[in-house]
Amino acid sequence: MSSLTKQILSHSCDISLLDFIQKAASIGTWEFDIESNSLYWSDETKRIHEVPLDYIPNVETGISFYKQGYSRNRITELFTICLEKLEKYDAELQIVTANGKDKWVRAIGIPVIENGKCIKVQGLFQDIDEKTKNARELAYKEDQLRRTFDNALVGMAIVDLNGSWLNVNKSLCKTFGYTKEELKQLSFMDITHPDDLRVGYKAMMNMVNGKINYFETEKRYLHKNGNVIWALLSTSIVKDKNGTPLHFVAQINDLTQIKKSSSKVAQLLATTENQNKRLLNFAHIVSHNLRSHYSNLDMLLDIMKMDVPETTKNSIFPLIEDAVNHLGDTVSNLNDVAVMNTKRNINVENVNLSKSIDNVLSSIAAQILQTQSKVSVDVDPKINISGIPAYIDSILLNFLTNSIKYKRQHENAVILLRAYEKGEYIVLEIIDNGQGIDLSKHGDKLFGMYKTFHNHEDSRGLGLFITKNQIEAIGGKIEVNSEVNKGTTFYIHLRKHETN
Amino acid sequence: MKQIDIACIIDDDPIFVFGAKRMMELSDFCESFMIYKNGQEAIDNLKPIIISGENIPDVILLDINMPIMDGWQFLDEFIKIESSKEITIFIVSSSIDPADKERVKQYQNVSNYIVKPISIEKLKRISEGITEV
Repeated sequence: MSSLTKQILSHSCDISLLDFIQKAASIGTWEFDIESNSLYWSDETKRIHEVPLDYIPNVETGISFYKQGYSRNRITELFTICLEKLEKYDAELQIVTANGKDKWVRAIGIPVIENGKCIKVQGLFQDIDEKTKNARELAYKEDQLRRTFDNALVGMAIVDLNGSWLNVNKSLCKTFGYTKEELKQLSFMDITHPDDLRVGYKAMMNMVNGKINYFETEKRYLHKNGNVIWALLSTSIVKDKNGTPLHFVAQINDLTQIKKSSSKVAQLLATTENQNKRLLNFAHIVSHNLRSHYSNLDMLLDIMKMDVPETTKNSIFPLIEDAVNHLGDTVSNLNDVAVMNTKRNINVENVNLSKSIDNVLSSIAAQILQTQSKVSVDVDPKINISGIPAYIDSILLNFLTNSIKYKRQHENAVILLRAYEKGEYIVLEIIDNGQGIDLSKHGDKLFGMYKTFHNHEDSRGLGLFITKNQIEAIGGKIEVNSEVNKGTTFYIHLRKHETN
Repeated sequence: MKQIDIACIIDDDPIFVFGAKRMMELSDFCESFMIYKNGQEAIDNLKPIIISGENIPDVILLDINMPIMDGWQFLDEFIKIESSKEITIFIVSSSIDPADKERVKQYQNVSNYIVKPISIEKLKRISEGITEV
């Protein structure tokens, strides 16, 4: 390489070094000459303003780059003071670049004084956008964190290694009934339930020793008013760069209400179990004690007939016999219901609906014929349900005989049975053209015990009650739709048979 | 049809005892009766009778729910006694609890479970059952 080229290179190196420094530090320079009223911007200053390098600024345009409002007012004020009072300035302000971008800059202006008069202002212009934005973001995040801490629904506290509160949030104050100031005078031991003072102590020691970083426990505290507070405490330790423990961050979740509700649930459960036991006991009383009195009455009537036949030949004796028979039926029905309701493990099996219907229809064939009823069945023979065969038979029998029993006068009963799938159920519809039931009057007690809605000689009102219990015992449910003098449709929801 | 000589009724309910006895008389069920108010009284009295081998009852109608010693406890004690004569036992109870009917099957020497009320018809069937054997 020739010495000339070296010289040129070293010269251009000087210029590029200055340029390099300006670029790297994002610092531009500027100079304002008062006499010529001219403003000079270095290349970097122009780059920060995002103007082309051949751009020629003047004081007015220079100032107009500052963001309207605070920044522009402030720079005008500072620049004026600098010129008039010869004071330098150093401010962080916002400009809007030629491309319309908001930017944070550091603007420094220093008056050059000759004979006590300002002849020039020289200055630096630094792009501090990223740094300022980061600082502002950090401040925002800190603010957010502080607000989160203050307003969190869970009680939060910063506790020093000796257990004193460094900071507590509102929720914590509310939980314990103290003000922030009052709490800060206390240590966490002061508000811990005396029986739970040792709870979590070992874990805290382990955190200080660096064995664990976090622990969670349930413990009791005391409210300012003395009430016990159940809380879930989760604590983590905060350490400095070198791993030296600084303080704890504790979250205290008030569980008192949850504890109260769960004890209420437990109580309810106990009550229910107790009631179930009593129901079982009731079933036992019905099947043993009530029945024994009925059977004695029945037996005595039999003996009376044989031993003192003359006493039975009056109008009262048959009535007594009827009453005793009804008592027997009632006791037996009551027992059925009690047994159904108390049986825990019912063995359900696969039942073919169509076959069950056929069986029941053939068992009441005589009744159908005699009443000239018309029964049509539209049930897919492939439909299987899960249930107890005896219950299914009893359910079908009850609905079918009801439909025949409560047919409209002077009209033959027409009954349609049809079945279809609906979700987890098979719905069996039993549609009749009978007397119907006024559901607005009787709807809520339709399936109640001993409710009758028709003046029929055998209407004893237990059928629907037992049927409903049987349907529910095998996991089904029942719905009804009815119109007086039009007919009734029962929707019997039965469990689908599970193939596996 | 006087094949049954002695019938034993173990029941704490005096109305049932009265009725059962009367029905047995009316239907010529047996020659004579033994009546005990509970399982304990029955065991205490039946044990020496069976051991002596005299006046052993042919049939026992046993109630389940009784004070002091109930029907089940009686059965547990009774099967320990060896008898020279076959004694047919019927459980006669007002209980229609299926669990009770199931439990009866555990006792080989119990012939059947009869649900109260007792009637001439039922007594006839008992009598036929015994005389068939």
